[in-house]
Amino acid sequence: MYHSSFHFSLFTFHFSLNIMIHFHDVSKYYDNQTALRKITFSIEKGEMVFVTGPSGSGKTTLLKLIYLAEKPDEGNISVAEWETDKLKESKIPLLRRNIGVVFQDFRLLYNRNVFENVALALRIRGVGDKELKTRAFDALKVVSLRHRSDSYPGSLSGGEQQKVAIARAIVAEPSIILADEPTGNVDPDTSAGIIRTFKDINARGVTILIATHDRELFRNTARRVLRLDNGDLVGEEIA
Amino acid sequence: MAFPYAFRIAARSIVHEKWINLLSILTMAAGLLFTAITILSVYNIDVATKSLPEKFSVMLYLNDNLSQEELKNIMNTAREDSAVERVKYISKDEALKELEASLKDIKYILDGLGENPLADSIEVKLKNEAVRPETVKRLAAKLSGLDGIGGIEYGEKFLSSIYSIKVGMKTIGIIFIVIMSAGMIFVCYSTVKILFYRKNQEIETYKLLGAKKGFIRAPFIIEGAVIGLIAGLLSFIGILSLYYTIIFRLSLTIPLFKAIIFPTDIAIFLPLAGLIIGMVGAAIAIGRIRY
Repeated sequence: MYHSSFHFSLFTFHFSLNIMIHFHDVSKYYDNQTALRKITFSIEKGEMVFVTGPSGSGKTTLLKLIYLAEKPDEGNISVAEWETDKLKESKIPLLRRNIGVVFQDFRLLYNRNVFENVALALRIRGVGDKELKTRAFDALKVVSLRHRSDSYPGSLSGGEQQKVAIARAIVAEPSIILADEPTGNVDPDTSAGIIRTFKDINARGVTILIATHDRELFRNTARRVLRLDNGDLVGEEIA
Repeated sequence: MAFPYAFRIAARSIVHEKWINLLSILTMAAGLLFTAITILSVYNIDVATKSLPEKFSVMLYLNDNLSQEELKNIMNTAREDSAVERVKYISKDEALKELEASLKDIKYILDGLGENPLADSIEVKLKNEAVRPETVKRLAAKLSGLDGIGGIEYGEKFLSSIYSIKVGMKTIGIIFIVIMSAGMIFVCYSTVKILFYRKNQEIETYKLLGAKKGFIRAPFIIEGAVIGLIAGLLSFIGILSLYYTIIFRLSLTIPLFKAIIFPTDIAIFLPLAGLIIGMVGAAIAIGRIRY
């Protein structure tokens, strides 16, 4: 872990140091329970980082703070060029458009087919129909689901739904991808395939943060791993 | 590009939630129909009473053997009043000629009268805006006090009752329209609110994916507008059917009904009112979107 005073300087000069995500002494409480306590860390542009820990350690909360589904009770967070505590409500959609999120519960629309689910991320950004079609099919190809584009999520397996969620997260080519337990519902082979997909995307310069409790997922990946326990950032290592 | 997509989403929702939407459309159509009937009633009474001031005058019947000075005084006093448009002296001979003209074929009934029984008179025409019970009463009281006036006539009761009906209908009409509009907005509000809650998860996903408020709102506003527009068109069909099946047929046997006017503007007004009410209801239902 960095020394806190060093972090303060990082927070101030994070643009010059190419930092994409920065937490400074961030705490989050739910009622009387501490979800995160004085968390400080940084993720540089183009990095692929894992955040791990047992269930209830604060992994999902940490991701939610980044895409502003939650706001910190203490501390500061910066994401890309935005300092989230200074961000106006009207600018929140712009920040979110820079982030592709693979939600733990997928958040797919079950009354739309796979294509429409993936295309939704582009429609929200106002992409035209022609370009939207090409890009949505390309994203489905990346997760090997081009052939299921007309299917509805309800008819897909858990792993396939996860892939649709990944396709939706990458289709708009965001600068950051956050994935919450992206292999939670899949077999080891599919799991390895998903991580390969993330590595490929990361190779294009996209910053990726993956929350997982599955240690196998990052073993020997040579990537940075942040370890959470009961709301505390208890360690950081290279896997 | 988000615009046609919003229409597609709205169309899908209208079809998917057809029963609740149909119920809203019918309720709003009924509300708009009653509103239209009220507006037509008030409009017709207004048109009928608008021509009243042109026909209205205060008649001053003069005593016999009135001196020129007394006549001049009465004429001047009437003329100088701010409510008076013009003053006209009608001699009893002229009055008899007019009576004969109006009796036409039965003027022979006047033959037995011998001497002209009518009185000299002054017709006082009022300015259009002054034809109100209180103004006319004031003027009548003022003129009846003058020397040389034998009688005064202005249809006091008729004037008062017409104006009471006019004012009463207008007031009731406005109150009714306001209540009905609020009711219709509430119907649309409730419908969109229910749909909004049903799509809560979907909307939450939109927000998390970076949708702006307009993207979220547009389909609901369109849905409200379509509900209102269809309701407006149905109510227009309803009022048109009512007019042709009841008023038009009745006017063939009872000539009084011929006087009822059906303004064609209502063909635009009803769908437009429905559209606006639908959009307002939807906008209130969505409320403020928070991230």
